[in-house]
Amino acid sequence: MRVLTAIFAREARLAWAGGGGAAGPAAFFLAAITLAPLAIGPAADLLAAVAPGILAFAALLSVLQSAERLFGDDFSDGTLDLYLLTPTSLAALCLAKVMGQASATLWPLPLIGVLGGLMYGLPPLSALVLGAALLAAIPALALIAGFAGALAAGIKRGGLLIALIATPMMVPVLIFAAGAGRTAFAGDERAVANLLLTLAISLGTVALAPFGIAAAVRGRSG
Amino acid sequence: MSRGDTVLARDLTFELSPGEAVLLTGRNGTGKTSLLRALAGFIEPDAGAITLNDESPANAAPDFMAWLGHADGLKSAETVRAALRFWADLYCEPRTAIMPALRALEVDHLIDRPAARLSRGQQRRCGLARIVLANRPLWLLDEPAGPLDGEGRACLAALVAAHRARGGMVIAATHQPLDWPGAHSLDMGAI
Repeated sequence: MRVLTAIFAREARLAWAGGGGAAGPAAFFLAAITLAPLAIGPAADLLAAVAPGILAFAALLSVLQSAERLFGDDFSDGTLDLYLLTPTSLAALCLAKVMGQASATLWPLPLIGVLGGLMYGLPPLSALVLGAALLAAIPALALIAGFAGALAAGIKRGGLLIALIATPMMVPVLIFAAGAGRTAFAGDERAVANLLLTLAISLGTVALAPFGIAAAVRGRSG
Repeated sequence: MSRGDTVLARDLTFELSPGEAVLLTGRNGTGKTSLLRALAGFIEPDAGAITLNDESPANAAPDFMAWLGHADGLKSAETVRAALRFWADLYCEPRTAIMPALRALEVDHLIDRPAARLSRGQQRRCGLARIVLANRPLWLLDEPAGPLDGEGRACLAALVAAHRARGGMVIAATHQPLDWPGAHSLDMGAI
């Protein structure tokens, strides 16, 4: 437990110290959701209808922002090799690492999601449901980005590879998280079901992804 | 053992008992680093077996080895203190061992400096402090003395001697002549 706490705390600390913490993903998210209405046009009812989709999609892309650094830095400074030689399960270590970074960098996304939903004209309850769906989606998004990041660690222009690997895997989360907001806006009771399915995918990812990340780390180190 | 299509070493046999040290020498590209990485369990040899107390490196390495590669494993934004506290936690060793390790390498005055503001030699000394901190019986060191000055090499030799006196083992790849009394030498270029 001491090991996992240490790595969680260090990742959170490093994300603040070297990467500007939450500023990067938050700025990207804000920029995306500010620009989208300018392209779509000023029709208020249309904006409210597309809000959940735009917001969930923009949140997904902003999670990918930090994926390249997550394991790339460890690869180049030799830390990745050292992780293989620690007396802890590598999968647990990777889970703590990804979650440590996510907790430091991704916490504003649900808040911005709620605010963005209100700005787009969603009723408060729908905006809150959308925010909750984004919160439920974060573990899955962060771990999938982490998995792609681990596979691409140390590869030149790994960002492209990360986008190609991660985006298809993020499709289910995107569908259900956006679906929660959309059905809430439509007054449909399936909103709760969508929300729970988002959470279910996140929990499934927490259970499975660490093993994939650990295998990727082993492969990149060899 | 091979890298790509190049066979680096074949018919290589050696055994290490407590208190012994091996220096791997040989020209660039003869497989010193690959051999060290195989010993650490990062890569598999094409044929043959590596055993640590009758176990494979992948199983036994974490409790048995301390690794220092080309890079020192330091984060540029992190202070030496924060980095070594983290590694002490990760190796499940007491944090009180940090200061003695830094003092042994004469870098205790740099403890609050971020790694980005250390020289290469100072970074290497901090990397070696992590090896001491790890408190493992076998040290695998890849070019440990590369960026070190004469004084740093003396610190390293003293640490290695103390480690071996406690029954520890050291395998180091090196280009520089290291004055480690009684260390075996293995020329990778001649294999």
